[in-house]
Amino acid sequence: MRIRNLAAKAVLSPTVLVMLVCFYGCAIWTAYLSVTRSALLPSYQFAGLFQYVRLFGTPRWNVAWSNMFLFGVLDILGTLGLGVLLAVLIDRQVHFQSVFRTIFLYPLSISFIVTGLTWQWVLSPTIGFQNFVRGLGWSDFVFDWITRPDRAIYTLVFAGVWHQSGLIMAIMLAGLRGVDREIWRATRVEAIPPWRVYLNIVLPMLRPLMVTCVVLIAIAVVKSYDLVVAMTGGGPGYASDLPGKFVVDFAFERANIGQASAAAAVMLGSVLTVLAPYLYLELSRRDR
Amino acid sequence: MRAIAAPARIGRFGLYAFLVGTALFFAIPLLVVISTSLKSLDEIRDFSIFVPPSSPHFAAWWKAWYAACTGLNCGGVHVGFWNSVRILIPSVTLSVLAGALNGYALSHWRVPGADLILLALLLGAFIPYQVILYPLVKITSTIGIYSSLPGIITVHILFGLPVMTLLFRNFYAGLPAELVKAARVDGAGFWRIFVSVMLPLSVNILIVATILQTTGIWNDYLLGLIFAGRENQPMTVQLNAIATTSTGEIEYNVNMAAALLTALPPLLVYFASGRFFVRGITAGAVKG
Amino acid sequence: MSGVVVCGLSKSYGPVRALRGIDLVVEPGDFTVLLGPSGCGKSTLLNAIAGLDDIDAGTVAIGGVEVTQREPSERGIAMVFQSYALYPTMTVRRNLSFGLRVRSVPKAEIKRRVAWVSELLQIGGMLDRKPSQLSGGQRQRVAIGRALVQQAKVFLLDEPLSNLDAKLRTEMRVELKRLHHSLAATIIYVTHDQIEAMTLATRIAVMRAGRIEQYATPDVLYERPETLFVAGFVGSPGMNFLSGSIGRASVPVARIETDAIPLDGYPLCSSLNDGREIIFGIRPEHVSLANQETRGPVIEAQTLFIEPMGADTLAWFQHGSQRISARLPPQRAREISGKVRLALDISQVSLFDPATEQRL
Repeated sequence: MRIRNLAAKAVLSPTVLVMLVCFYGCAIWTAYLSVTRSALLPSYQFAGLFQYVRLFGTPRWNVAWSNMFLFGVLDILGTLGLGVLLAVLIDRQVHFQSVFRTIFLYPLSISFIVTGLTWQWVLSPTIGFQNFVRGLGWSDFVFDWITRPDRAIYTLVFAGVWHQSGLIMAIMLAGLRGVDREIWRATRVEAIPPWRVYLNIVLPMLRPLMVTCVVLIAIAVVKSYDLVVAMTGGGPGYASDLPGKFVVDFAFERANIGQASAAAAVMLGSVLTVLAPYLYLELSRRDR
Repeated sequence: MRAIAAPARIGRFGLYAFLVGTALFFAIPLLVVISTSLKSLDEIRDFSIFVPPSSPHFAAWWKAWYAACTGLNCGGVHVGFWNSVRILIPSVTLSVLAGALNGYALSHWRVPGADLILLALLLGAFIPYQVILYPLVKITSTIGIYSSLPGIITVHILFGLPVMTLLFRNFYAGLPAELVKAARVDGAGFWRIFVSVMLPLSVNILIVATILQTTGIWNDYLLGLIFAGRENQPMTVQLNAIATTSTGEIEYNVNMAAALLTALPPLLVYFASGRFFVRGITAGAVKG
Repeated sequence: MSGVVVCGLSKSYGPVRALRGIDLVVEPGDFTVLLGPSGCGKSTLLNAIAGLDDIDAGTVAIGGVEVTQREPSERGIAMVFQSYALYPTMTVRRNLSFGLRVRSVPKAEIKRRVAWVSELLQIGGMLDRKPSQLSGGQRQRVAIGRALVQQAKVFLLDEPLSNLDAKLRTEMRVELKRLHHSLAATIIYVTHDQIEAMTLATRIAVMRAGRIEQYATPDVLYERPETLFVAGFVGSPGMNFLSGSIGRASVPVARIETDAIPLDGYPLCSSLNDGREIIFGIRPEHVSLANQETRGPVIEAQTLFIEPMGADTLAWFQHGSQRISARLPPQRAREISGKVRLALDISQVSLFDPATEQRL
């Protein structure tokens, strides 16, 4: 019996297998661990919501969890806002376009570790911005957010926006360039000023693209690890902790598989919550 | 030629002012790091990092490369550099190749469940590492590749599969189906068509994929930390260890030089590749 | 109602000269069509009149006011684009009213105009739909409506029917003609379709390679084309062109192949000498089968083949080394074969200089 398209199937089989086992299988494994009594060692004894109850009773997790929303909302607003604004401004046919684009995009080529370290240094009260302004004469100037437990999480927003705005700018610029030029000409005949064209006509046309951008940033926020590690180390204390770091710390340093798995499951749940409606909308939009 | 009215000129000026201001926001952190890496420790102590060096020199760079200290040893980041290179080359080559083959198989050959596979890949691309980290550790140590070079390479290939496959699949799906059909009529099989028909047409997308993977893998931290093993720690891991070591006085200039050295390879790739980089990140972002 | 006066308009795209010193006077209430093959500059001219593209030289005046330096929105024009350019995320009602709202037109006035336009173009039922929910013809009407609602002095239309299928195109042609009459508007319309031009226009400007070859009413273009190009472009099936020369004997004749065709009644310039080369142009509908009553010039030709076209049939004949076609009723066309005698209606003939392509 000859199997049709044998080679293609043979090539894809390892990928499919690996996807099933490593991605989906492992995710299910983690989810299962999150409902067991695992601690230092994994146990496979079912324990209901024990881990989750314990998790949400842990102060550090609650800080990390709420940080994710604080950081996430600000990061999304900042990155999207700046990215869209830059795309719109560059779309106005400025000179030196490629120079500007090169400058806005280069942070994307830099790892989050370098980004985090760089911003840690820039925002450091001892050698960074506070020191600089004091050196200029304002000896009472204070900007020590990165060392304050109640403010440290916000410093991550600077680094996040700095790193990712370029991506949003590039995506939105491609979208803006795809807008039918005749629509622009029609607005010129109707005396509609450019800012209103962007606000009322062009950006609404790009709404699906902006939703895509929000989804991308949101998922990056959920996954955040490198940035926190390098910029604040989760500190001071655990004031700027995020779920991504929590999971790794509890899985390896603190060696509590049960808690780590529960936290990871919550992360997965967050991603799916953002992703599911988006994918559903996208796929149904395609079908139409 | 029409003259621009006065209000329009002011608007234009404001536009450029904003762009230049934002460009400074993007450029200054990097410039600050570069300038501080060229200073001596005294200068750093006495002035903020925003002040340019009085007599720049590369001593800190030399030290960073050859003698910087992590908590464990003082070999400098050149160790991490070569580790990263050894991780990078096989990982990028194999993940790009795997993606190309998979993408080709999915786009031009009838495989049952192709749509399902694509959906599974799309979802898989969004799964945070932390969700499957512990199970992966278990699997790789069972196979015997945990904490080794083959281990980290395998993990990089694994995590690269979804994005790479989707990237190539979308590209190949955009090529006319008649190419493959004509070749099949001529008697060519799966592999022959791939090598003789698909690859020659794939130069651009191969460049894009390589850039995407190179940047992603070089800048990776978490996977390298967990799966590479002590002797193979990539540059990012070493960098963070150096920068967060707090024995004695912090040598900011050395740390910054180390950060720059770590950021340099992907940065150079970025400056050299221009629009390919942009295509890579936007394609990687706007999947499916 | 306003006129448009274009003087010496020139525009180049790098080395390509898209418009070469165009002069055009559109009277108020005219329906002027810019007709020509692609690349002739008709859209460029329209965009220049609209002010959407800058020009290198020349002036544009609308309603007696010079507008060359002004933005499109300050010229008193309204435009309908080839792809309609409707705002996709807005309902039809908003599409119509958005421009007015931006210009701070009072709400009551906006309402009145939208109602008027919906009535005029029969789009009242679609006001709350979005463009993606409309058919091509409906979108077309909304685009026209958006132009009308601005109550401009001059309407510019850039190939508005080219994206519609043939049947819809014919319907919309009737609509446009009706609109022109009821609104008494000044319209400048661009198309490459000469049937559209002939049916809609009060005057047609035939353009080629950045120049206006002739600007006249459809009748004049058809009966007295000024250049070879216009003669060949206007009218379908196309005019027959036969090479020959002038003969000056007792009466001027056109020597074509072995025949000498008397040209009495043709206003021939006396400066044309004997032996001067000419191109003899005659439309197929003015070539017929000769019979006993025929008084005019007759030539002999060999039947080649026939092309049935429905109401008529186009019959092709060989005359010496040249071909000539004639429009015949289908019955007669079926009967002919071999050598025939063709009668030529000299009153409808056009003579051209082969070198300058100008009418003689």
